Amino acid sequence: MNFEIFIMNGFGIYVWSAFVFTFLVCLFLYVRTRKTLKKLEKNFIKEANNLSEEQFEDIKKQKITKEILISHSRS
Amino acid sequence: MIKYLNPSYVFKISGKLLNLFKTLLIPLVAIGLIFSLFLSPEDYIQGDSVRIMYIHVPSAWISLFGFAAISFFCILNFLFKIKNVTLIYKSLAPIGLTFNIVAIVTGSLWGQPTWGTWWAWDARLTSMLVLMFFYIAFIFSYKFIKSPDRSIKACTLISVLGLINIIIIKYSVEWWSTLHQPSSISLAKETTVHFSMLIPLGLMVFALFMYVAVIFLMKYRIETIRVKKKGFKKL
Repeated sequence: MNFEIFIMNGFGIYVWSAFVFTFLVCLFLYVRTRKTLKKLEKNFIKEANNLSEEQFEDIKKQKITKEILISHSRS
Repeated sequence: MIKYLNPSYVFKISGKLLNLFKTLLIPLVAIGLIFSLFLSPEDYIQGDSVRIMYIHVPSAWISLFGFAAISFFCILNFLFKIKNVTLIYKSLAPIGLTFNIVAIVTGSLWGQPTWGTWWAWDARLTSMLVLMFFYIAFIFSYKFIKSPDRSIKACTLISVLGLINIIIIKYSVEWWSTLHQPSSISLAKETTVHFSMLIPLGLMVFALFMYVAVIFLMKYRIETIRVKKKGFKKL
C-alpha cells in the first residue's frame, strides 16, 4: 500500500489534522442541529395535539403551523 | 425584497431547498476532498501543506461573509423592524462562529510547517481572533438580553463594530507588515493561484457553502418553530 499519500512528504500530520478537525466540527454541528430540529418538531406536534379542537383549528390557519403539521396525522 | 423575508414564504421554501441541498452535499464534498487531497498538485515552496488552503480559505470566507450578512440584517432590522430578520441572524451567527474557529485552527496547523510557529500576534491573525470575540458577544447579546428592544440595539452595535473589524481583516495584510500572505484571489486584481489549484479551491468553497446553507435552513426552521411554540402559551 502506498503510504505516501498519507505521509505527504512529512506534512501529512498537519494536513490530515486540519481536514479531520474540520470534518468532526462540521459533523458535530450537523448532528446537533438535526437532533434539535427533530426534537422541536416532535414537541411542537405533541403540544398541538394537546390543544382543544377550537384552538387547534385556530393555529391551523397559520401557514407555518400548517406546514409543520402537514406531514403528521392530525392535519 | 420584503416579500422574500416573509416568514411563511421563507419557511415553505426552506423545506424544499433543504432536501435539495442535502442531496447535493455529499457528492460535492466527496469530489472536493478527492481533488484537494489527492488530485491537486503540491506547491513548489510549501509542498503538500498547501492542501490546508482548501479548507482554511473557504472557512475564513464563510466567517467573514457570515458576519457581514449579520451586520446587514441587524441594520435592516434596526431601521425597519422586520421581525423575521432576527430569525435569520440568529441562525447565521453560530455557523459563522464555527467557521471562524475552523479558520483559526486550520490556519495554525498551516502556520507551523510554513512559518515555524503555531501562532503570531500578527495583524491578520489577531483581527480574526477579535472577530471570534465579536461573534461570541453577538450570540450572548441575543441569548441573554431579555428585552427585545435592548437586544436589537446591542446586536446592532456589536455587528456595526464587528463590520469595522471585517474591513481591518480584509486590509490588514496591506496596511501592516504581516506574516500572513496578501490575498491571492481578488475580484479587482489578477488571481495569482494556478488553475490546477483554483479548481479544488472552487469545489471546496462551493461544497462548504452548500453545507452552510443546509445548517442555516435547519437553524432557521428551529428558530421559527421556537417562535410558534411561544404562541401556543398565549392561547
